[in-house]
Amino acid sequence: MKKSGIAKKVFSVASVLGLCASMLAGCGSGGGSKPTLKVYSWGEYIDTSLLRDFEQEYDCKVIYETFDSNESMYTKLQSGETYDILVPSDYMIERLIKEDSLQPIDWTKISNASNLADDVMGLDYDPDNTYSVPFFYGNVGILYDTTVVDSADLSEGWELLRDEKYANDIYMYDSERDSFMIALKALGYSMNTSNTDEIDKAYEWLLEQHSSMNPVYAGDDVIDNMISGNKALAVVYSGDGSYIMAENEDLGFLVPEEGTNVWQDAMVITKDCTEVDLAHKYMDFMLRPESAYANTVEVGYTSTVAESRDKAAKEDFAGIDSYIPDMSRSQDEVFRYQDKETKAYFAELWTKVKASN
Amino acid sequence: MKHYVKMVWPYVIWAALIIVLPLLLIILYSVTKNGNELVNIQFTLENFKRMTEPVYMAVFIKSFELGILSVVICLILGYLLAYFIAGFQEKVQNLLILLVTIPMWINTLLRTYAWISLLSDNGLINSFLEMIGLQPLNMMYTDFAVLIGLVSDLLPFMVIPIHTSLCKIDQSLIEASMDLGANRFQTFWRVTFKLSIPGVLNGVIMTFLLSISTFVIPKLLGGGQYTLIGNLIENQFISIGDWNFGSAISVILAIIILVSITLMKRIDKDEIEEE
Repeated sequence: MKKSGIAKKVFSVASVLGLCASMLAGCGSGGGSKPTLKVYSWGEYIDTSLLRDFEQEYDCKVIYETFDSNESMYTKLQSGETYDILVPSDYMIERLIKEDSLQPIDWTKISNASNLADDVMGLDYDPDNTYSVPFFYGNVGILYDTTVVDSADLSEGWELLRDEKYANDIYMYDSERDSFMIALKALGYSMNTSNTDEIDKAYEWLLEQHSSMNPVYAGDDVIDNMISGNKALAVVYSGDGSYIMAENEDLGFLVPEEGTNVWQDAMVITKDCTEVDLAHKYMDFMLRPESAYANTVEVGYTSTVAESRDKAAKEDFAGIDSYIPDMSRSQDEVFRYQDKETKAYFAELWTKVKASN
Repeated sequence: MKHYVKMVWPYVIWAALIIVLPLLLIILYSVTKNGNELVNIQFTLENFKRMTEPVYMAVFIKSFELGILSVVICLILGYLLAYFIAGFQEKVQNLLILLVTIPMWINTLLRTYAWISLLSDNGLINSFLEMIGLQPLNMMYTDFAVLIGLVSDLLPFMVIPIHTSLCKIDQSLIEASMDLGANRFQTFWRVTFKLSIPGVLNGVIMTFLLSISTFVIPKLLGGGQYTLIGNLIENQFISIGDWNFGSAISVILAIIILVSITLMKRIDKDEIEEE
């Protein structure tokens, strides 16, 4: 009796171990000796079938991981994780350049560089594109439900987000820089200010908004929520706006006159990268018109490849004016690197805005 | 027996590496400034001083209110469920306990997303309400949503210890109580409940620990503006990058939890001595 009990136990332990081992084997296999490229990018930022095409074409393996904010990407890098290619935003790239974490791009290896649109090159954060290959770009605006929001109110610009007619009916973006950008622009300041008086006023603006409007600070969940029309107003990136408007016809996109953030996400190569050639091939691959077209249609963000952008604007996002953001407005700015003190100052105020009840 | 002592060493080293060392690092971070540049450390108590600002105190108070409320709801529901389960034959009991634990096999994140699709403004519940002609309710991003998420997540941690101590109760004690003239309520209150107190305390401690330090559930069901201690800590580390302040909050939270557990353990002891 007892013996069979033990045998049974041994058998079950063995089978569990076997199961674990086979799972591990499944993870490990396929690595082989193929060159491997580790890419770290935003979530839902690529047509993933392209990764398989790339792997096949260059007989390599791509490990693709995603992050949900520039800051969490930076934290992960700080914890010692290494990647070959990153796709962060402008100000984060500037920071990485200043901290000497990036390798210069060898533009001679990128034959598709000529496909890039003129107005996405040479932005202030990396004026000569020494380190960055632009991938997506856009601006920030207010997505509004045309059936709820009175079109006369649109002239209020950013103050629309403090119009008590729409209290309890707005999504803000759960990000320190974007929220302060809105407050600073609404007050007529530069969003890259380090003047503490101006920052304090912006803090008051956000606090006041927090108490009178009761906004929900959302992340990517804003996409689904606005598609189903849950609230009247939402602060969104133009790319998300295009994607949402393609799904829900009752929405409009307002880029306030006071000015907004024009941003860009770009591919960069880290100092840790060993497969430099392959990394350049990857970037070149992503700049092919057909790859860029697949990405922009899948994601909704504006492609930096002119041909793909124009095709998508004509075919897939016809009538959606947020798809091609106006890059020529003088009141708009690109986020710049903040020194430590300024960043810490903003961070503390933002913590307080969110924690105030 | 003595030569077995040596076999403890691997465990001691392991525990030092994965428990004690990180804890010491957190404490170190909490009393220094300048982030993770550990090369030139500057000691300061600034991080702890910041915690006394009213904004942060309010976060602590809110976390406690919510933590205690979810523990109380878990206790009421969990005790009823455990009592109900303990009334069945042993085989049925095993099956029912299995049913209680099954949700725990599924990732918390997934279960929370399930709540989102139920509670959201155009979710299943509201669609149903509209179908039968009622006004839709606003449930997402409220205390209600966060509480539901917490309670459904924590309930098994309450049910299992209570059920275990209910099962251990000698049936003859209950029979004796009845024989000696106690009615059903008296028997329950003075015999069954009293004997199940160790389980209740274990359940309370576990659910309290988990509810006070949670951050995923309030973030998803309460929205980004819903700040509890866990969210405060998460923000400091993930989005703001102030590891020092984040560590200081963690240390304070750890101390509070330690004190609460000690207090609850004392209740347990007093009860036993009273017997």
